Formats: sequence, structure tokens, C-alpha cells
Amino acid sequence: MLNKSLILGIVSGVLAGIAGILYARVYYKINEADFSAVVSSMKIIAASLVAGILAGIGYTVLDRLLKKKGEIVFNFLFTILSFASLLVPIAYKLPLNLETPDLFPGMVIPMHFFPALSWYTLKPLFIRK
Amino acid sequence: MKQAFTPLLAVFILAGSAFTLVSADNWKIADGYSITFSTDEASGIFKDFKGSIVFDEQNPATSKFDVTIDVASVNTGNGLQNKHLKSDEWLDAAKYPLIHFTSQKVVKTSSGYQVTGNLDMHGAKKPLIIPFTFKRTATGGLFTGAFNVNRNDFQVGKPGGEVSDQIKLEVSVPVTK
Repeated sequence: MLNKSLILGIVSGVLAGIAGILYARVYYKINEADFSAVVSSMKIIAASLVAGILAGIGYTVLDRLLKKKGEIVFNFLFTILSFASLLVPIAYKLPLNLETPDLFPGMVIPMHFFPALSWYTLKPLFIRK
Repeated sequence: MKQAFTPLLAVFILAGSAFTLVSADNWKIADGYSITFSTDEASGIFKDFKGSIVFDEQNPATSKFDVTIDVASVNTGNGLQNKHLKSDEWLDAAKYPLIHFTSQKVVKTSSGYQVTGNLDMHGAKKPLIIPFTFKRTATGGLFTGAFNVNRNDFQVGKPGGEVSDQIKLEVSVPVTK
């Protein structure tokens, strides 16, 4: 189970990272707000991968501890943590030379849901019960 | 005609030299200036700063500062904090769009110079003393200064609370002729 959930975590992390990079580019074209100095493509991929791997570990742990209820609790926790993580970009203090810091949360907040969305989308392909 | 030539020439030379003296003291604010403010809880910059500076190192008494800061240009690095700072709860940028300082007296001190003037902010005008230094640079000069402003003197925010009453301001203004 750990192997499967870890692979799922990595794949969903990569997918979330790619979605994040594409979204950042679209956001830049629409708003002309460039935050690449703070949120680079590498950082987006790395953060998404970390989220995916942690999700994989968390899923395995909860599945073993709670058996049938593990997946339900995991899904709730993943969603709640994704929401809770929004506090980070909302409170984040950008370098003062960057213009329009008010547009920063609008770019980063959706990205915080990409790992969970990728996980929920890909999970039936990797783990079937 | 010949008799009038010499006095006329003297008047021209005098007028010309006077103009040279006055224009020599005028400084233009160059790019790269920095107006920062900080407390223990928040810090940031004002991006838009303009005005006129007349300053003579040798004769500071003739100096004159008349500068303004655009309140809406405040940047703390956080969008929510910027919005909050510009709201009527704090600086009220819509009602009081400018922070204005005009000098009254400039004197030389042991560490540099000191300008006494009036700070007009948030609808209140209060006297303020700013110590500063001036250094000649390759392109002109550089004014630097650091001073505190008590926000309660200008009814900015509510007294007490999380944000300290004393706001530290640091100014660095490169100037050219």
C-alpha cells in the first residue's frame, strides 16, 4: 500500500506542479503580475511534490490505523489542511520592490488545492478497493 | 552711453552671479530614493515621493525643503496590510492623499544637519525636527535621515493596541543638480 500511495503522491504532485506552473503563466498574462521572483517554477513543483508525498504517507498511515474509515478521514484532513494552508499566502510578506502584492493571494491560493485535486482525480487509477 | 555701460555691466554680473548662487542650491530628487517606515509589528515603504529641495551645505540657513509623499503608494509587501493601512482606520488615503513636509529652519549640527518644519499628515499639522546628513556623490548628493513620528499626534489609528505609537522613519534621497 505504501508503494502505491507514494507513487500516487509523486504523480499527483507532479501533475499539481504542472497545473500550478500553467496557472501562474495564465495569471501573469491576464494580470501582468509577475511573482516568479518569489514563486518560481521550481518552487511550485517542489511544493506540490512535497504535498503529494506527504499525502501518500498520510494515506498509508490512516489506512492502516483506521482501516475502512481511513480514506474518509484522510479525504477530510487533506481538504481541511489545503484550506488551512491558505493562511500562508494571505499573511505572506513579499519583497517591497514587488508591485501589486494584493494580487499575490489570487495567484497562489488556487495552487494550494491542486495537490488535493490531483490526488482525488488520480486515486482510482492507482488504488482500488 | 559709455558712462552707462559700466554700471549696466556690473548689474548684469551681479544678477548673473545671484542667479548662479540660487540655482546652485536647487536639487532634483533622483530615482532610487527610499522612504521606509517600521514598527515592531509592521514595516514598509512609500513608493512615490516628490518635491523641491533647496540646500546649501555652506549656508544651511538658506535651505528649503518642500516634499510630499503619496499615501496611496504605501507598500508593506502584503496586499491586505496595504489595504488596511490606506483605510480610514489608519492613514485614510482617500481623504488625506498626501503627507506634506515643509521646512522652516535648517541648521548645522555636530553630526550633520537638522531641519525643523511642519509635518502635515492625516489632517493634522505638527512641528517636526529631522536630523539628516548630506554627502556629495559622483552624480550629485545623498540625503539620509532617521527619525520617529508619534502616530497619536496625527490621530493615525487608535492609541495603544498592537502597533506601537512611535513609527520609525528612514529616508534616503539621492539628488542631482
